[in-house]
Amino acid sequence: MLPEAQDGEETTVFAAAAASVQVQVEPVGRWFEAFVKRRSRNVSASFQELEEEEESSEESEDEELQLEEHPLLRTLDPKDWKNQDHYAVLGLPHLRYKATQKQIKAAHKAIVLKHHPDKRKAAGEQIVEGDNDYFTCITKAIEVLSDPVKRRAFDSVDPTFDNAVPSKGEGKENFFQVFAPVFERNARWSSKKLVPSLGSLDSTFEDVDNFYSFWYNFDSWREFSYLDEEEKEKAECRDERRWIEKQNRASRAQRKKEEMNRIRTLVDTAYSCDPRIKKFKEEEKARKESEKKAKAEAKKREQEERERVRQAELEAARLAKEKEEEEAKQAAQQAKKEKDIQKKAIKKERQKLRTTCKTWNYFSDNEADSVKMMEEVEKLCDRLELTSLQSLNEILASASKDDSKAAVDKQVQEVNAQLQREKEAEVLARQAARGAEQASGGGGGGGKGWNEEDLQLLIKAVNLFPAGTNARWEVIANYMNLHSTSGMKRTAKDVINKAKNLQRLDPVQKDEINKKAFEKFKKEHTSVAPSIDNAMPSERFDASASEGSAAPWTTEEQKLLEQALKTYPVSTPERWEKIAAAVPGRNKKDCMKRYKELVEMVKAKKAAQEQVAGKNKK
Amino acid sequence: MAAIGVHFGYTCACVAIFKDGRADVVANDAGDRVTPAVVGYRDTEQIVGIAAKQGQVRNAANTVVKVKQVLGRSFSDPETQSHSARTKCRVVNRDEKPYYEITAGEQTQLIAPEDVAKLIFYKMKETAQSALGADVRDAVITVPFEFAQAQKQALRDAAEAAGFHVLRLIHEPAAALLSYNIGQESSSGKSHVLVYKLGGTSLSVTVLQVSGGMYRVLSTHTDHSIGGESFTQALAQHLASEFKRTFKHDVSSNARAMLKLMNGADMAKHSLSSLGSANCFVDSLHDGIDFDCNVSRARFELLCSALFNRSISPIRALVEQSGLSPSSINTVVLCGGSARIPRLQQMIREMFPDVDLLTSAPPDEVIAVGAALQAGLLVGREGLGPEDESVTVDVSPADILVKEVDESGAELFTVLLPSGTPLPARRHHVLSGPGHSSSLCLEIYQRFVSEHPEKLSKMVFQELQPSEEQRHVDAVVTMKRDGSVHVSCVEQVTGRSEVVTILAAAS
Repeated sequence: MLPEAQDGEETTVFAAAAASVQVQVEPVGRWFEAFVKRRSRNVSASFQELEEEEESSEESEDEELQLEEHPLLRTLDPKDWKNQDHYAVLGLPHLRYKATQKQIKAAHKAIVLKHHPDKRKAAGEQIVEGDNDYFTCITKAIEVLSDPVKRRAFDSVDPTFDNAVPSKGEGKENFFQVFAPVFERNARWSSKKLVPSLGSLDSTFEDVDNFYSFWYNFDSWREFSYLDEEEKEKAECRDERRWIEKQNRASRAQRKKEEMNRIRTLVDTAYSCDPRIKKFKEEEKARKESEKKAKAEAKKREQEERERVRQAELEAARLAKEKEEEEAKQAAQQAKKEKDIQKKAIKKERQKLRTTCKTWNYFSDNEADSVKMMEEVEKLCDRLELTSLQSLNEILASASKDDSKAAVDKQVQEVNAQLQREKEAEVLARQAARGAEQASGGGGGGGKGWNEEDLQLLIKAVNLFPAGTNARWEVIANYMNLHSTSGMKRTAKDVINKAKNLQRLDPVQKDEINKKAFEKFKKEHTSVAPSIDNAMPSERFDASASEGSAAPWTTEEQKLLEQALKTYPVSTPERWEKIAAAVPGRNKKDCMKRYKELVEMVKAKKAAQEQVAGKNKK
Repeated sequence: MAAIGVHFGYTCACVAIFKDGRADVVANDAGDRVTPAVVGYRDTEQIVGIAAKQGQVRNAANTVVKVKQVLGRSFSDPETQSHSARTKCRVVNRDEKPYYEITAGEQTQLIAPEDVAKLIFYKMKETAQSALGADVRDAVITVPFEFAQAQKQALRDAAEAAGFHVLRLIHEPAAALLSYNIGQESSSGKSHVLVYKLGGTSLSVTVLQVSGGMYRVLSTHTDHSIGGESFTQALAQHLASEFKRTFKHDVSSNARAMLKLMNGADMAKHSLSSLGSANCFVDSLHDGIDFDCNVSRARFELLCSALFNRSISPIRALVEQSGLSPSSINTVVLCGGSARIPRLQQMIREMFPDVDLLTSAPPDEVIAVGAALQAGLLVGREGLGPEDESVTVDVSPADILVKEVDESGAELFTVLLPSGTPLPARRHHVLSGPGHSSSLCLEIYQRFVSEHPEKLSKMVFQELQPSEEQRHVDAVVTMKRDGSVHVSCVEQVTGRSEVVTILAAAS
């Protein structure tokens, strides 16, 4: 029992409450778990409060539930229940898919109380018998809405839902005003809760990315079974039921596809209109550009650095070279000087010898001897080294006339002997050289067994594979080995040597060879028309081996021919006449022959090259 | 989702599973709901449970008992020393850690107490699994309140080594409370609970405050020198003297005979909890002589009366230490196997004459059941951290009272919000007042324990219409985390309201 208050007393606070204290509690029990959960969620309200609030909010919902009477409820046709708006029938058109099961039940209860046939009968109203009363519509409505599956089917085709997708033009101007409500509207079809919002212009890249990835992978629960044309239950037999099912499935899939396309279009449109995407793209571009620039700059710097280093190296090398040259120059000067000195000395010595010899009157009395002696002395002067001259002079200076003569004679003899030796050596060397030349060069069937036929073959090969052919000499050697009858194996080196030799040969010899070949050829194929084999050398060698009638083709003529061959393809009528007309100075026959030659040449070349390639591979 | 609770005691271990909203103790492969925490090492195998306990007679040196006493302790710890002095198993020192030296088989091996505990945990896990028929890992494990951090960690490691996923370690007294669902129905209300646990080797008495559904230990007392074994020992001594009297043989020096006698006495003690007398029979106790003796419950109670007094005596001191009187204890929970002893229950009932004595559940299973209930709360929850194990909560420091007068006009205080309520809190009260007066006055007081109430605020309703009926005032008291109190009152007839906020003093 609360006490009475005194007069004039008012609500007052006298003292402060004591501060809370902290205590350790046992970590057990559901209240403890609730406390920990609350604390980790950092909710300040106590557990009881939260629970109470939840309860009260539910209650308030019930209280607030207001039913809007369907204006045309009484005129509804129960047969056409499929097309009625079930929410409107139950008086919930303002809530629609947001209505809770509780609200739907409550609304149904209220409406049944009002419209039940028994009630109306009691009020003296006329009741249509059976299912034809509009009350059936209410029954159907609750039937659909109370079953979650059926309700979802109805919600999916909710007639009030706006399926419209804004066009690009609309979205460009004020993107957020246009698209935010559209996305919000469509979010209700998402199977996942927590649909990311469109955000604003300041949304981060992650948010925007998240938003679009969500919508591109949109998982919709919308389904179109409500629109099924046929009802499965109506079927009389299993087959019919199956057929209906098939039909329905097809139409549902079609509609679902359309729906997905709709969502896709919406997202695509939004994506293309989104100013943020544009912004991000630009940013990305700018970033890439700057990166590129930085990279290029770095490269440039690196190159400069390299250039600098190279310059420095060059400079160093140049300096080193200069120094070397300088040194070499100095050394050369030094050497020259020394040489000069030596020369002078030797000159002096020679002079000395001459004068000594002269003073001794060349160790002879008669003129002829002295002249001969003089010659000898001159020879001595020429041949002797500085040191031997010096020693000789010393001997001459110190010795008597006879001794001197003996010494000079001795020297002279020595020098003569040496001269003799040198001469012999020279003669020998010359002989050897000659011998070698003969051995290596040689005429027709000389060393290494080059016979007529081989030579002929070689010439042919050389002409067949003109300079510039890939691995020319190997190819030639190979060709030789392949075609030669002598059975000699020839290497590229042999072939080169021989070819060089041949080139060095005088034209007479060449003519001879060619003639011989021609004769041989004539002997073998007397009746056969002249073929490439002997036509070939005409190109490379000055003297043509083939019939004199065909003058060698000049480069210009060749070019003209090639051009003509191209201009008049194989199909052209009277082709060769035209080609011949295009090449001045050549008749039809010449051209055809030349063409054949060329073809043959190319073929042979190819074959030989292939062979070499094959060999190399092995 | 199933989860299990394990009580790993000094002498026994017990496992309960939580399934389909119920927690139940499961029996092990021997059919016992409690498994002795004994591990016997043989040359080829390790035996856990009753077989090991019975094999202790032949294999005492290689049988580890009461491993929990050394678990997580250093070698030099006095507890370890006393344990190694008493146990038959050799305890050696290595790196300041105790190890059991087991000589089963060819060579001696050193076994860490954690490994012994692991084997026992593994046995419990097997028991639970065979009962559930499925693999179960999530477990809550109980620890004595006095366990230090290192011991808790050792226990947790051992459980994890046995393949458990330890959801949490909880204290034994709290688990006992939980198994009786104390304070779990609603979060309001405050009570004091005494948990009396008399296990195999230790006695622990704890006073807890339950407020707002949370448990808080006020004071605790542990005595390792008394337990069920003390009673068995006393009985065995008595049997030995009986044997000596009849056959003139002293068996007290014969260790094996004494162990046999202990096993017999243990069995007799258990029977005496439900029967008036029990027969103790030991084959070939000494010199091939069979021993047969009948013990009555009265005899047993007489033998152990001193022990009983010793085990009861800490209660009173502890209650006083908590600043309470025996009358302010609302509930007493008994647990531990020895709490089954009828004499003991009777003595406690005498001490707390008008208090519920909760003994409905088998006392040695109570703690395991509580642990399983907690496991059921925790299982499947994400992000359990060990920081949840010691949580400090803001509580109201003082009772918040309102002054009322009774019929005789004497002052009377009604508690609106008891002290110790976890904050923030809200309490709703309907207070009534006389209808004839034109005014009402609510005086809000705060009171610390046994102090005079201090007036905090006064709320006044003036100029009310006098009426015949009583007035009712809805008072909602809200206390925030810092201790500030907010009181809002609405007079039900007129709908007039008064609101007052009392700020908290700076702490």
